[in-house]
Amino acid sequence: MKKFRNLFVKEVKELLSKQLIVSLLLMMAMFYFIGLMTRREAERAAAAQKIAVFDLDRSGLSGQMLAGLQGMNFKIEPMTAATTEAAVEAAKAGETNLLVVIPAGFGESVGRMEPKVVETYSFLRNFSIVGARTSAIVRAVLEAINKVLSDNFLKAKIPETAPEDIKSPIKSRDFIVIKSRMAEGSASAVTGFVTSQTVFIPVILMMIILYSSQMVISAIAMEKQNKTLETLLTVPIPRTSIVAAKMLASGFVGLVSAFIYMVGFRSYMGGFTGDIANAPGIGQVVQKLGLTLNANALIILGASLFFAILCALAMATILGVLAEDFRSAQSLIMPMLILIMIPYFVSMFADVKTMSLPVKLFILAIPFSHPFLAMQNIYLENYNAVALGVLYMAAFFGVMVFLAGRIFSTDRVLTMKLRWGKKKVVL
Amino acid sequence: MGMMLKAEGLRKSYGAVEAVKGIDFTVDEGEIFALIGPNGAGKTTTLRIVATLLTATAGTVTLLGHDLRKNPEKFRENISYLPEEAGAYRNLKGRDYLKFMANFYAATPADAAGFVRRAEDIAGLGDRLTSKVGTYSKGMVRKLLLGRALMTRPALAILDEPTSGLDVINSLEVREIIKRFAKEGISVLLSSHNMLEIEFLSDRVALIDKGRVLDSGTPAGLKEKYRAPNLENVFRSALR
Repeated sequence: MKKFRNLFVKEVKELLSKQLIVSLLLMMAMFYFIGLMTRREAERAAAAQKIAVFDLDRSGLSGQMLAGLQGMNFKIEPMTAATTEAAVEAAKAGETNLLVVIPAGFGESVGRMEPKVVETYSFLRNFSIVGARTSAIVRAVLEAINKVLSDNFLKAKIPETAPEDIKSPIKSRDFIVIKSRMAEGSASAVTGFVTSQTVFIPVILMMIILYSSQMVISAIAMEKQNKTLETLLTVPIPRTSIVAAKMLASGFVGLVSAFIYMVGFRSYMGGFTGDIANAPGIGQVVQKLGLTLNANALIILGASLFFAILCALAMATILGVLAEDFRSAQSLIMPMLILIMIPYFVSMFADVKTMSLPVKLFILAIPFSHPFLAMQNIYLENYNAVALGVLYMAAFFGVMVFLAGRIFSTDRVLTMKLRWGKKKVVL
Repeated sequence: MGMMLKAEGLRKSYGAVEAVKGIDFTVDEGEIFALIGPNGAGKTTTLRIVATLLTATAGTVTLLGHDLRKNPEKFRENISYLPEEAGAYRNLKGRDYLKFMANFYAATPADAAGFVRRAEDIAGLGDRLTSKVGTYSKGMVRKLLLGRALMTRPALAILDEPTSGLDVINSLEVREIIKRFAKEGISVLLSSHNMLEIEFLSDRVALIDKGRVLDSGTPAGLKEKYRAPNLENVFRSALR
């Protein structure tokens, strides 16, 4: 155990280089900074929007309309100018992004139910989220104006009926059903919420697997390149311990790296998904539908992730043996990358259940598919599918470790090389 | 002097290529035994088999009575191998590298400290042991590795081209260190294609070519047998 610890500590020290630590911290700081900026922009976008209004009508109706807009969280800034052009120039010089011009005779025309044109001027000062919100504001303002006017009209003409009942005579109640659970709510809102909560899982998994695999392959390749592997293989420590120390150290550093990465990434993504997660009412619906992860679900998900990482480490160990030097190790990550990208995209854009049998078997044969599919299966109570996936990965890991152990116990660890079309002979 | 190492009928094939075609030799306690021959003669392959890195296609190797095939772990406890062009971990400081290697052999922290002190004496790198190995010259790395190889006083030190790439002064120092440790009882199995070096260092030599031992004996005995002034001429005569 003492010898194993000695080797494990050395491997971790080698992997946790200053360059890696600095690049991880810089990445986390960058994500945090971008996330902070994005959140601020989103908060500004969600706050009461200022609208400049040039009211040439000044009738009771236009006053009512502006009061209605204020009630809809718009902050009205009245403009005084000689002409519309002057109002536009003044608004352009100001801070508001939208100017609404109410024409003279507006109240009179609308009173006769004759359409009147209200002009809006959007000042695109940048193309950020706030800038993009301007067009949405225009639509919202026009809808709000139409709503206020039509409601006022209907109230005047048919006072005994609520305007809303006239405009939308058909009402709906939306229910979502998942297996035996049912709740009232919007399917799209719930899907959006679940997606916002689970979008990190595949990213975390992909990062951990790639980080760890790259580290194992590089660690073995560097030992070969620096001619230290031969010495290490002659010290009195079981070869299986050498394999295990490299795998564990890489897994450990991979997990730490992925954690740091994800802290930054979560901060970054929080800027985009915060609105959805905080949407009122969604939490209760999600709770009722059982779309939250309880302790058991987290354990199953953790097991699935853990075995996927172990499979990756074992495969990377074998690939590392094939590398001649650090440079060739970089290309050996490609098979791992392909095996991770396939289930990553399948889990995002397709449903494995509806695929043809050969394709389905191919996808399920890739060990990394199972943790990608685990989250969906847990939400849908398909625990057997998750358990079978974990069992499959455990068996796959066993076979890979056996193969890696065999390779390290024989001289193949030194003689195996990936040389296209030419066999290397060492004399 | 008792027999330390015995190799019998060693063969090693890589696919259709047979690199070693039946080699026999013994190394006694405190003896420096050298395999000499040109590049590709099978010297390194033979050393790698004895160092437990390669598996012989046929033949047996025993060290202190332990069979290599049956008990490679026991074998490794008693050997130390210095490969040709070997490196050390570039990100570790020289002393940390020695500590790391010592911990594989030491039973107690005191043993490990003793091994490190001995390695420091052998390497003679002084304050540079606090620098990272990546900053060392080739000669410094070689001395560090020689210190590592001899610090545990192994029963058998296997040294592949121990002065490879070193300048004259460093080569002389390394040869003197090897001689000194052999006198203290460490057996040495080394290889080189520098026959003058071997003549200075070795108690006995085996002349190898194309995977076979052409002849073996003491340098003086071989020179007398082939009526040659040095081992280079001995080798040329043995080839005929």
